Amino acid sequence: MPVIEVDNVTRVYAEKGQTPSHALRGVTLAVERGEFMAFAGPSGSGKTTLLNLIGGLDAPSSGEVRVDGVALSGLSRKALADLRRDRIGFVFQSYNLVPVLTAAENAGYVLELKGVSAKERRDKVKAIFERMGLSPFLDSRPLKMSGGQQQRVAVARAIVSQPAVVLADEPTANLDQATGAALMDLMRELNRERGITFIFSSHDPMVLERADRLVRLVDGLVVTDEKRAR
Amino acid sequence: MSTALTSALALGWRNIWRNRRRTVISMSAIGVGLVLVIFYSGLVGGMAQDAKNQLDSAGIGHVEIFARGFRDKRDVAVAMEDASGWREKLRLPPGAQVGARVLARGLATSARGNEPVSVLGVEWDNEPKLSAHLQHISAGALPAPDDVHGVLIGEQLAERLALQVGAKLRLMVQRADAEMGADLFRVRGVFHSISPAIAQRQVYVSKAAARELLGLSEASHQLVVQIDDPDAADALAKELNTALGARFEALSWGELLPVLKRLEAYTGSITLALATFVYFLVGLGILNTMLMSVLERTREFGVLMALGTRPSRVLHLVLAESFWIATLSAAGGALTGGLLAWYFSHAGINFVPGTESYQFEGATISSLIKTRFSPAEIARATAFVYVMTLIVGLYPASRITRLLPAEALRKT
Ligand SMILES: Nc1ncnc2c1ncn2[C@@H]1O[C@H](COP(=O)(O)OP(=O)(O)OP(=O)(O)O)[C@@H](O)[C@H]1O
Ligand SMILES: [Mg+2]
Repeated sequence: MPVIEVDNVTRVYAEKGQTPSHALRGVTLAVERGEFMAFAGPSGSGKTTLLNLIGGLDAPSSGEVRVDGVALSGLSRKALADLRRDRIGFVFQSYNLVPVLTAAENAGYVLELKGVSAKERRDKVKAIFERMGLSPFLDSRPLKMSGGQQQRVAVARAIVSQPAVVLADEPTANLDQATGAALMDLMRELNRERGITFIFSSHDPMVLERADRLVRLVDGLVVTDEKRAR
Repeated sequence: MSTALTSALALGWRNIWRNRRRTVISMSAIGVGLVLVIFYSGLVGGMAQDAKNQLDSAGIGHVEIFARGFRDKRDVAVAMEDASGWREKLRLPPGAQVGARVLARGLATSARGNEPVSVLGVEWDNEPKLSAHLQHISAGALPAPDDVHGVLIGEQLAERLALQVGAKLRLMVQRADAEMGADLFRVRGVFHSISPAIAQRQVYVSKAAARELLGLSEASHQLVVQIDDPDAADALAKELNTALGARFEALSWGELLPVLKRLEAYTGSITLALATFVYFLVGLGILNTMLMSVLERTREFGVLMALGTRPSRVLHLVLAESFWIATLSAAGGALTGGLLAWYFSHAGINFVPGTESYQFEGATISSLIKTRFSPAEIARATAFVYVMTLIVGLYPASRITRLLPAEALRKT
């Protein structure tokens, strides 16, 4: 069974007094467990909208999204929150972290929501930080860290609770080329080591060429969907 | 406490210090508002309480009983048969003080001149319990119980008539049979009263002398009852009226001096008006600050929601911030306001420097006002501010929880 199923999904933004904006016009795709895939496409093509719908952050105008076979349209906001907590990790473009929490506290946030004890959280975060070269920053505040370090903490937070899928909307957009590439390589390794599915969006060829599967969106429609053998 | 709650409180604590200056300013506004309300209600409460204390020195009893008809024309012939046996009959509350007086109007004459006066025939040993100013004898002393021709006068009268302790004073009154009665008295003591009307007009003589002056046998005009709780006077007067029947009337201080009752009601309502106004302003202030501080973090809340934070927890996070702001500012405000009210309940504040009292619609009010220190009232004001601050946090929280995570994330 695919981990993500997107079934003929549309999203129309209808704001009062404005012509409705058709961000997605009927997108269908399935993502298998362990994939490392990217959404590409020009600005305004619907990448963020699609990722938001997959993550249950937004509701489609029509069509259905299923995560691990569970249809999102039937879920309450509370149930959606729990589903994200348990199955989905998020990495955003920037300002991902809560500034009043330390790096370790940020990374342990989802575990805390799950009710994991402080000690166990600390142990798990420590292990991940070690793996990701973040050990010196356990107790640093985000504002004292570089953009690349912050994004790595965000990735750590997304994967520490072993989600089924990590959604990353332009995770490298605010990073320089080398830092961005390092982050991508790190995600790739985590994808291989832990079997976590990654779906990200980007404009950046450096990012896109690292994906196993590339879905191109134009004007709210999927125009190409190609797998690349590696 | 559940770990979810403690962690919400811990996060809230850190969040309120993100914008230290703004938090301190809004907490100060809440605190100062609370101090204002506490202090002002203490002050006004003190004023009302003080006015009631002034009943004593105004020479007005908590309840006064007269033969019906006496008060209209002050006809000294309308008297009550001797009231000494009534003490038992009246069934007064414990701690009550009772005394009978013989009343007359007349003229006091000395070598210097004469002054219209109000003559009170009293029992020397009992009267100081009823007239507080007789406890402040500034010259001479209270006459002995069997002193028939001694007289006590106020400082102002002594000055006007150039009388000193030991001097002679002639009192002339209209008798019950409409003839004039006069007698010679000797000044035994001079008392101090903050009420000029009393110090200038009231002359105390023995009951026996007063009766002789008026040509009355065993009779009194007024029965004065002082009780521990002046607020119980109305009920007591009502009770006495039923018990005594139609020949007598019992009046509470509220009926004898309605201005004091009005003053009480009036001060109560201005405190309420001020409190409402202050709370309204403070409420708006907190609402504004909380709204700003929460809405500028919309994106951050969006991230938390994306990570799986339930809407109820978002609400808790915002309320945790209100909780801390409310706790700190209410504690600070209650402490400061309480200290001020307590301090001035001892030290007092003189609102009309250089004077002892002022007249307000016929009531004498001490210009030294001691605030009322009422822990119950402080607790009430504090609880109100506290709850209001918490409730105000609900609105900004609802502005966030109303949003879909995607909408919250779009806000920068
Ligand atoms: N909240 C919204 N209200 C109205 N229109 C919106 C909203 N969000 C997105 N849109 C519109 O929907 C379309 C798709 O937007 P979306 O953000 O998904 O594109 P994107 O591919 O992520 O673009 P970018 O590469 O610039 O991030 C755009 O035309 C955009 O203007
Ligand atoms: Mg986008």
